Amino acid sequence: MAIAFASLHERLFYQALRIRLVEQRLVELYPSDAIQSPVHLSVGQEAVAVGACEALAREDLLFGSYRSHAFYLAKGGDLGAMLAELCGKATGSGGGKAGSMHLAAPDVGFMGSSAIVASTIPHAVGAALATQRLGTKRIAVAVFGDGATEEGVYHESLNFAALHRLPVLFLCENNGLAVHSTLAARQAYRITAHAEAYGLPTSACEAGADFDEVHRVVLAAVTAVRRGEGPRLVECRTYRWLEHVGIGEDFDAGYRTRAEFEAWRAHDPLVRETALVARFAPAIRAEIAAAEAFAEASPWPAEDELLTDVA
Amino acid sequence: MTGAAFDTVAEPGHRTLTYRDALRETMRDALARHPHVIILGQGVDDHKAIFGTTLGLADEFGRERVMDTPIAEEGMTGVAIGAALGGLYPIHTHIRVDFAMLAMNQIVNLMAKYRYMFGGRLTVPMLIRLVIGRGWGQGAQHSQSLQSMLAHVPGLRVVMPAHADVIVAGYPWLVARHDGPVISIEHRLLYDVEFRVGAETAPASPFFSRVARPGKHVTVVATSIMVLDALRAAEHLASTAGIQVEVVDLNCVSHPDAALVTESVVKTGKLLVLDTSWQAYGVCAEVCRLVCERRPDALSAPVVTMGMAPAPCPTGKTLEDRFYPNLRRLVAALARLATGHDDHGIPLPDDASQTDVYRRFRGPF
Repeated sequence: MAIAFASLHERLFYQALRIRLVEQRLVELYPSDAIQSPVHLSVGQEAVAVGACEALAREDLLFGSYRSHAFYLAKGGDLGAMLAELCGKATGSGGGKAGSMHLAAPDVGFMGSSAIVASTIPHAVGAALATQRLGTKRIAVAVFGDGATEEGVYHESLNFAALHRLPVLFLCENNGLAVHSTLAARQAYRITAHAEAYGLPTSACEAGADFDEVHRVVLAAVTAVRRGEGPRLVECRTYRWLEHVGIGEDFDAGYRTRAEFEAWRAHDPLVRETALVARFAPAIRAEIAAAEAFAEASPWPAEDELLTDVA
Repeated sequence: MTGAAFDTVAEPGHRTLTYRDALRETMRDALARHPHVIILGQGVDDHKAIFGTTLGLADEFGRERVMDTPIAEEGMTGVAIGAALGGLYPIHTHIRVDFAMLAMNQIVNLMAKYRYMFGGRLTVPMLIRLVIGRGWGQGAQHSQSLQSMLAHVPGLRVVMPAHADVIVAGYPWLVARHDGPVISIEHRLLYDVEFRVGAETAPASPFFSRVARPGKHVTVVATSIMVLDALRAAEHLASTAGIQVEVVDLNCVSHPDAALVTESVVKTGKLLVLDTSWQAYGVCAEVCRLVCERRPDALSAPVVTMGMAPAPCPTGKTLEDRFYPNLRRLVAALARLATGHDDHGIPLPDDASQTDVYRRFRGPF
């Protein structure tokens, strides 16, 4: 259905709200066991995906992590195929072999997601190498969390990208947590300063719940990368509302406080701008209901699918 | 060093070339014929050029296509995967199998899974070339033969070419026709060996096993350079005792031809498996599984397996010689298996007759 937006803000708001309502619906559905897949929800982090993907072209290649519902949808992945995938159906994005952690939509440049932390970062670098060799216009984007910057392969990827001035954007969603471990317990460096040591210009966005601000910061970096000025790193501070994996809150677990959450929530446009929520939510809920019905009506994969596409 | 001759009888329509030259020729042809091919690895553009197999190619095709890399095995494997997803065909080299252990996350968790876990929507066409070291004190970390760890994982295809013709026909086929990841494990001591190949070789799939020498009394299933040892042992037993050994070159260790192996065992009733690696949980164990699941009744004697001693590889010469199977021990095992007793009276080659190849190898690498 065509929805008229009066501004870029409204369009981005709609997309961010759509992702939040999808995941809140997953929270409602989860106890039914229709989704038999671990889910790492992006609730609270939608604005990073929406702001960043607005700065990208459809043909740009983006590589994600296990927490990728938001980026899959923001990059243009099909909602019905996502819900069907979460339910293990044949019509899912991975034909029932992917689940929540391995969504992919290569037709819109969402090049897959991996449950091994940091493991797709070099893939974005390699895709950028291919772009450089083949002379195509598109760029590549690696999306990862703060924890991924602790992996050796992240350092290897920064070095190679900088060495060959590859058209790749490193986009760090820093939610301050690796499962239940805080940054202070894990990192002896600052993420931007570290990347600068490899010669990458960096920028930071402290207001990671503000998709307009994310878009502004990422667009500047993307423009430079697209101009052939070499790789860039953008760090967006953000906040994960729910537990690492699953649908619950876990503020009573002792590793973070509800006050932190309330501070982020107080600045969240999806919470504050109730008039836009009221305007957009009905159409979004209708779309979600249709996607759910599609997933539910879809067939299970045929038995012989077990051994197709192996090698 | 002069290559040891192997299978080099000149015939019309054939030519002779070393394993190394076969590799260099296919690397060059891949670059010349396919603009999307790149070769990357530590030292691919230096004067040693992966034992000569990429010699001169950086000058001819440019260092953007024949790329030296940082010392970053996992990262560069990931870069190769991403490059494949982005439309290139990467050929990634490691001068020892051992170094690829640093890339196992990318190989096992990513490269092997990309096609399946995204429901066939993404493919990773690429070739990884690994080299097994042996001799001249290569030691614990320059000698490993880890094909079974790789072949164990669904999603990977693993070949171990024992003959230059597999390279000359197989590598071009992989680049032109195959859209998945393949790991080829080459043996350092094969590089100087000369082989006879067709003058005109059409690209052909390397995912096969084959009978390298027909026989009727005992079957040897062998991998990589062990195929050459098996052929020498077969020749010795034929000439000294009239024992006809059938040698099966397993070649594709991840997808071996189980029917071919079983058929041979049904014919001979006796099986010796000869691998470049350790016997436990490896090719030796797997070939036994293939036969036992199909025709255990065909075996008229217990299976014999031979491989590296169950220890890390030692460096000192006397221990290292003991670590690997040699021709004398192989012939003894085959004579015992074929005749059914120890006092078979068949003359064994002395230790000094161990192949010229191994004797002549003086390293350093």
